This record gives sequence, C-alpha cells and structure tokens, in this order.
Amino acid sequence: MRFLSDVWYVAWRELIKFLRAKVRVVVTLIQPLLWLGLMGNVMQGFSRSPYVQQMLGTQSYLAFMTPGIILMTVLFGGVFSGISIIWDRRIGYLEKMMAAPISRGAIPLGKMLAAAIQGGFQVLIIVLIALGLGVRFASGPAGIVLIVLIAMIFSTILSGFSLSMAVTIKTQETLMALVNFLTMPLIFTSNALFPRAAMPGWLSAIAKVNPVSYAVAPIRELILHGWNWRAMYPGIAVIAGLALAMVLFAQWMFRRATVE
Amino acid sequence: MNTAIEVEGLVKVYRGGVRAVDGISFSIREREIFGFLGPNGAGKSTTIKCVIGLLRPTSGTIRVLGKDVRRDPGAVKRSIGYAAQETAVDDRLTGWENLYLQGRFYHLSRREIRHRGREVLELFGLWERRNDTADTYSGGMLKRLDIACALIHRPRILFLDEPTLGLDVQTRKTIWDYIERLRSEHGMTIFLTTHYMEEADVLSDRVAIIDRGRIVALDRPGALKAGIGGDLITVRFSTGDGLELLLRSLKALPGVREIREAQDGIHRIVVEKNGDQLIPEIVRLAQDHGIGIHSIRLKRPTLDDVYLHYTGRQIREAEGSREELIRSRVMARRIRR
Repeated sequence: MRFLSDVWYVAWRELIKFLRAKVRVVVTLIQPLLWLGLMGNVMQGFSRSPYVQQMLGTQSYLAFMTPGIILMTVLFGGVFSGISIIWDRRIGYLEKMMAAPISRGAIPLGKMLAAAIQGGFQVLIIVLIALGLGVRFASGPAGIVLIVLIAMIFSTILSGFSLSMAVTIKTQETLMALVNFLTMPLIFTSNALFPRAAMPGWLSAIAKVNPVSYAVAPIRELILHGWNWRAMYPGIAVIAGLALAMVLFAQWMFRRATVE
Repeated sequence: MNTAIEVEGLVKVYRGGVRAVDGISFSIREREIFGFLGPNGAGKSTTIKCVIGLLRPTSGTIRVLGKDVRRDPGAVKRSIGYAAQETAVDDRLTGWENLYLQGRFYHLSRREIRHRGREVLELFGLWERRNDTADTYSGGMLKRLDIACALIHRPRILFLDEPTLGLDVQTRKTIWDYIERLRSEHGMTIFLTTHYMEEADVLSDRVAIIDRGRIVALDRPGALKAGIGGDLITVRFSTGDGLELLLRSLKALPGVREIREAQDGIHRIVVEKNGDQLIPEIVRLAQDHGIGIHSIRLKRPTLDDVYLHYTGRQIREAEGSREELIRSRVMARRIRR
C-alpha cells in the first residue's frame, strides 16, 4: 500500500506540473490536430485510388493514420519523462525524495505512471479529434478504452527507456539529442503512417520488427475491423512484454545509479 | 543529556577512488547545534549524506538516536529532516503543494499534513503565501520553505547542508534566527555544515573543523579561539614619568608574552589567553603609576585564525564565491521562469 502511495505521489507531482504548464497542454492538443487535419486530408486524395485502398486495407487514410498519430504523440510524451528526472537531480529534488522513507523503486515507476496518464489523456483527445474528422471506430466505445490502454502501455516502454538513459546521461541536452535522434526514425520505419505493402523490401523488414508496428497492429484492428482478438493479441503481448521489461530495466538502472 | 548522533571511524571512498571522508568520529548531544566547518570539498556533505543514509559508508558505524543507519535506515529517515544545499523546492508547485508532497513521502495522513503544514508554514512566515507557486518566492523564502518541508514529519534532528549558501547577509541572519528558534522553542538537535566562519561561530554550540576528510579540531567556538591563544590588547597611555615602571610591571603579569610600543603612547600587549580578564589589572596598574589611559581595545582570535592555525590555510573565498555564483545563476534561472 505504501509503495503504491509513493508511486502515486511521484506521479501526482508530474501531473500537476503538466496541467499547470498550459502552453504544453495546448501544444500537445494542437499537434495531433495538425497532423490529422493537414496530412490526413492531403493523403485522403491518394486513398481514393482502389490500389492504395487495397494497400491500406481501408478506404480512409485518416482512419489508417490515426493509430500512427496516437503512438507518435505517446512516444514523444513518454520519452520526455527522462528529462524530468535529470531536472530533479539538478535541483536536488531527487535527493530529497531519496532522503524520505519512500521506496526507491517508486520514483521511476511514478514517473512512468505520470507519462502513461498524460499519454492516455492525449490519446483520448486525439480520438475525439479523429471522430470529429469522420473516422469511425469499428470496435465502439469499449474499443476506444482498449486503444487508450494499449497506448498507455506503449508509453511505458518509452518512458522506461528514457528514464534508464537519463540516469546515466545526466545532461538534458544530450538526452534531448538522443531522443530526437531515435523518435523520428522509429515512427518512419514502422507502419504507423504508411502501409508496409508500399515500402521497399528492406524497410518493410525493419517495419515488421519495429515495436511501434506491434503497437499499431491492435489499435488499427480496433479502428478498422473491430474485435478480432486473433489479429490483436500478438501485438498486445509484445507491447506488454516490452513494457514489463522496460519497467524492470528502469528500476535496475535507477537503483544501480543511486546506490553508492 | 542523551546522544543524538554517534559517528565512529567513518570512511567514504567514492567509486572513482576519491577519499572524501577519511576516518571521522564525533558525537552530537540532543538539543545541540553542531557545526561542521570547512571549505568546499572537505567532506562535509559526504558526511551528512552518510549519516542520513543517502550514501553507504565504506567503513565505520553511524548511530542516530541509538539506531544503526545501515541496519535500520527507515527508522532513521523518519526521525530526521534534511534540507540540502540545493534548496530542493519544486518551483512550479505552490508552497503548500511542496509541503503536502513532502508529507506524503513521509506517509503522513491528509489530516496530519493539514495540521502540521499550517504549523510549520506559520513558523516560517509563509502561511500567507502558501497558494503561490514557489517561482514567485525570493531566495530566502525558498530556503525557508525548504526547511519547513524538512520539518513536516516532526523530526528530532535536522540536517542543514550549507543553509545560507548564496543568500545575502540580511536573509542569512533571518535564517539564523529561525534555526536558533527551532532549538530553543522546539528542542531540536541541529547538524549544520557551512563554510561561513561567522555562521559556525554564531550558531553552533560546538564546531568541528574539517579539512581533507578529517576533523582537525572540535570544541566550542570560544574554546577553539582560546585554544590558539594570542589575544591582543591595544592600549593608548598618556605619556608620563611612571610609564617605564608601568610597562615593567605589566610585563611581569602572568600570561603577558610581549609588549610592543608604537607611537603616541600606543602599546600592543600580546597575551596568551583571556585578555579580557587582564584589562582591569592593566587599568589598576596604570592608576597606581599615575598614568592615564586614553583608549583600550581587545582583539580576540576569530574562527578564521583558528581555521588557519589548524589547516595552515585560509578558507579560500574564491572557492566559496564560485559555488555561490553557480548557485545564484541557478536561482536566477528558476526565478525568471
């Protein structure tokens, strides 16, 4: 119980700060709107071609790219939780938390939880925007709930990764550089925005093993086709497995870096 | 009086091989203000961090209120409060939120936090500003909030690492008042580190001078100063026939090392110690010899002199000001945002 309370209050702090940084909240809402509104509409023209429709597996490019935008948003958000721990170390807050009788493991876990909740909130907004733009969710409201959950689990992979890096990297600038270096390629080497059928062989091979693609699969299934567990469970299993591994990795890295 | 902290043979070698603390032993009594004085890098913060369980000592034993820090870190953490050098306040949270969070980290209930939170914020004069985000606070207010946070769980011992680093003289004195009140009104034991001589001198009951990871002297500030001797009494006598005789009998007084003569009847009398007790004697002898005294002044050794005596160096101001510069930059950045 104490452990859960520790995790929650570490997350609570991040969430208050997130809500208080109004510009940040607005930006996280405008970004998906731009992506869906601009790129989605431009690409909509292409998806009139039956050939493209066959590759996409749907007549609506907007519906096709919605999972991609969801994951991209979550990806950026998750990755930035490492930044917060570097900041905490700088201002001495990390030490302050560790001088308190809270469990050490609660600190990275709380940050991950905060990233997941923020991500879930953003995904919900994206879903609303997509609905507004005419995307139909084949799996209904329950499907939307599952989409949010999958995105939250996915965010844990990224926040875990960035936290693990943050405990060794120590400067925000370097972490930012690393993060920028990784996120864009991760998105564009997956099937988040373009179907694998349209990719050259080598890219398609990368896209197949890219974790982003694994997260895309169940979400896309829920949007385009509805409840088809057979098509969804491999993606969900891989994402959940990776998330668990990242939670443990982040815990290990954090403990290693703070025990001296 | 009971022992609050007992440290024996503490050694801390960092992973890179730096021997930050090299065999330190001391004990602090309850209700004592104990000062750790030394330049940056002397091992003050490392010692504090070992005592409060943030760092694992390489060897040595540490007992806090009778409990071994390594065996029972949870109990030790609950009985102490710690305000770090960096003033670890989250400036995007309000004063109250900072305090609330800290209370939660110590597993206090909502009710306890509400009750005690008000108590400490009022004590530190921050109650009116509790709902403002901390980025609107001045440097002194941030430090007060930081110390208030360290008190929310009613610790019996408070650790203050460089509590007035980078603050202006006025603010520094207010913080001293608060620290003094914590001891006198709330019976707290306080362990503070500083590289400000005056701070150690004014606040501490006892001072340990730490240099290169070792304690080189430990006593009451007064005793430390008396220990190195060398009070200087400067007297201006009126010139007269009896002066030669007077000087001769002054030289014969116990404790007087030498008398140096300057112009206009000014004489400097070097005394081994307790120069203040010698002054009435000087006045009496002067009267006996019919010599008038225009002025008399006593200069006692300062902690600076003590420090110099034991370490062969002065606390380098350059070092302190560099750290202050960095710190004030960080503060300025935080305030600007």
